[in-house]
Amino acid sequence: MKYVAFIGTEGEAAPEALAVMQRELPRWIEEMDGRGVRLLGRELAFPETAATVRVRDGETLVTDGPFAETKEFVAGFDLLECADLDEAIEVVATSPVSRFHPFEIRPFRDGLRMAAGASAFGRGDDSAGTPYLLTMWMGGTPAAPLDDEAVMREYDAWRQDAEARGRYILGNALGGPDTATTLRVRDGEMQLSDGPFIETKEFIAGIDVVSCADRQQAIELAAAHPIARYHAIEVRPFYSE
Amino acid sequence: MTTPAVQRALDAAFRQEWGRVVATLIRRTGDWDLAEDCAQEAFTEALRRWPVDGVPQRPGAWLTTVAGNRAIDRLRRAARAAQLLDQAGHDPIGAGIDSEDPMEDLFAPTTEIEDDRLRLMFTCCHPALPLEGRVALTLRSLAGLSTAEIARAFLVPEATMAKRLTRTKAKIAAAGIPYRVPPAHLLPERTAGVLAVLYLMFNEGHSASSGTELIRAGLCDEAIRLGRALQQMLPGEPEVMAALALMLLHHSRRHARVGGDGELITLEEQDRGRWDKVKIHEGLRLLESALRRRQVGPYQLQAAIAACHARAGSAVDTDWREIAGLYALLEGQLPSPVVRLNRAVAVAMAGDIDAGLAIVDELSGDARLERYYLLEATRADLLRRRGDQAAAAAAYERALSRAPSEVERRYLLSRLQEVGTGSPASAIVITPIEADVSEHLPADP
Repeated sequence: MKYVAFIGTEGEAAPEALAVMQRELPRWIEEMDGRGVRLLGRELAFPETAATVRVRDGETLVTDGPFAETKEFVAGFDLLECADLDEAIEVVATSPVSRFHPFEIRPFRDGLRMAAGASAFGRGDDSAGTPYLLTMWMGGTPAAPLDDEAVMREYDAWRQDAEARGRYILGNALGGPDTATTLRVRDGEMQLSDGPFIETKEFIAGIDVVSCADRQQAIELAAAHPIARYHAIEVRPFYSE
Repeated sequence: MTTPAVQRALDAAFRQEWGRVVATLIRRTGDWDLAEDCAQEAFTEALRRWPVDGVPQRPGAWLTTVAGNRAIDRLRRAARAAQLLDQAGHDPIGAGIDSEDPMEDLFAPTTEIEDDRLRLMFTCCHPALPLEGRVALTLRSLAGLSTAEIARAFLVPEATMAKRLTRTKAKIAAAGIPYRVPPAHLLPERTAGVLAVLYLMFNEGHSASSGTELIRAGLCDEAIRLGRALQQMLPGEPEVMAALALMLLHHSRRHARVGGDGELITLEEQDRGRWDKVKIHEGLRLLESALRRRQVGPYQLQAAIAACHARAGSAVDTDWREIAGLYALLEGQLPSPVVRLNRAVAVAMAGDIDAGLAIVDELSGDARLERYYLLEATRADLLRRRGDQAAAAAAYERALSRAPSEVERRYLLSRLQEVGTGSPASAIVITPIEADVSEHLPADP
């Protein structure tokens, strides 16, 4: 099964945490990539750099900043391919990052789509264009537009179009918040809990990574995403050196 | 006609075999709802056939075969429907079935050494599931309680419970929670998780968290039954033995705990002649074999405390020094304000009331106990023992405003009256074991 493991944070990591992660992360990545359980992972830029895109009555509404103003936010993610949730938990629990940050493990609902640019993106090679994360936000009941076949067909068409133009990297719909599992370290002990780590009424319903010339182009791509009409798409760049 | 003998066989088969039939069907089909439905149908069929054909020699095998055949029928129908839809050019439904006939060896006899119920138990109690869902699903799929029965036990509407069960099963499928006994490196932790669910179930029955009914014995019986099954499947695990011992020792007092008018009777005032000697004996025996393994754990310490009470011929014979020592050890393993509160009682009962009160005072600032009526009730009781009636009355008043159910309220009111009139109250104590019943669970977010 394919999973996304979102990394949560409340801001800049403490210097000593950063030192541990920098020291130990390469070995963890090498081991997990070697086992084939980790596909790739990237860090995001801070939420201030985000834009939120909605389309109402044919008009595109763009607001600066992230969709949800929460103390904790998503700082990045790893994409996993594991036999089951226990393996995904084990992979995340052995990561040096999980000693300092909570993780939320969510299954991809219909598998993970990956286009040709995915491996370059995973290596941090952004020479073909700037990658942006489009986060599909939904609210209200979990019976979301993504359960609607017509919307799913539109979503497929949107992705095929983006892919044809060389802009699509990876993504797909996620299992709902009911399928999420959060890992946190408390008093040195790993604890699991049911549900997402960001406790808001709205929830992340899916992710797409696209490659664009600039922010404006990413916003335009988000505005064409069918979910922008139903709820909102958050556009956020990835962290780069 | 169903004779009493057949009825007894049916009842026994339901109690013993429901979980096994469901567990086996889930392993073979991967479909929880199908497994439950087909198990239900098998028992209905038994109700029809056994009075006529007689009770089969191996009721469990009979039920599993009938349920398995029903499952094959249903899967074949679904596969055929999917095929027909496919031919008509529609999207196939009833997915997950290969085009080859997968049913051929689905129920072929296998040499399963491992009890499927163990897989089912670990899956139902998986730590990534919501805690309430773990308890509900364990009662539904392993104990065979109906949704309505579980809803009644937890005082929620049936629709709420049905939703809880559906959501829990949905997460198992969608998040990829494996149907298996965890590998060795996960086993101790996951076993503790299963015990926590069984103990929560037991406590829900033992001390109703709301309402007027103090004992919902059915839940206690189910928890003990499942604990026994777990103990048989994981023999030699000291914490499993001790958790079962602990439940048996508590349960041995169930008839003595509540008076004729449903009022709470404290450990000290209970008629020890009404304690269930058989359960006590079994509990003590289990605890002894657990302690012989020399791997002390929280359930062993709690069972050892319960055993101190069980062994005491009368309240005054209780070895409170031993109990205080055991609580100190337990606090080392489970640092919790409730465990400490119990230690305060034990220290006071061992003779040093002031030392006990000092611990209670320390705990007053703990936000986790802010709404916990037993903190004030304990303080009140210790103050009364010291002869400080006015301060005791004030503490009883505070405890009253926090009491969770009518039974506790009535108990506290009667104590309040005693200190008010200055009547010579009988010696009482907030029973230390029962005070910590809801404590030993993973933190529910």
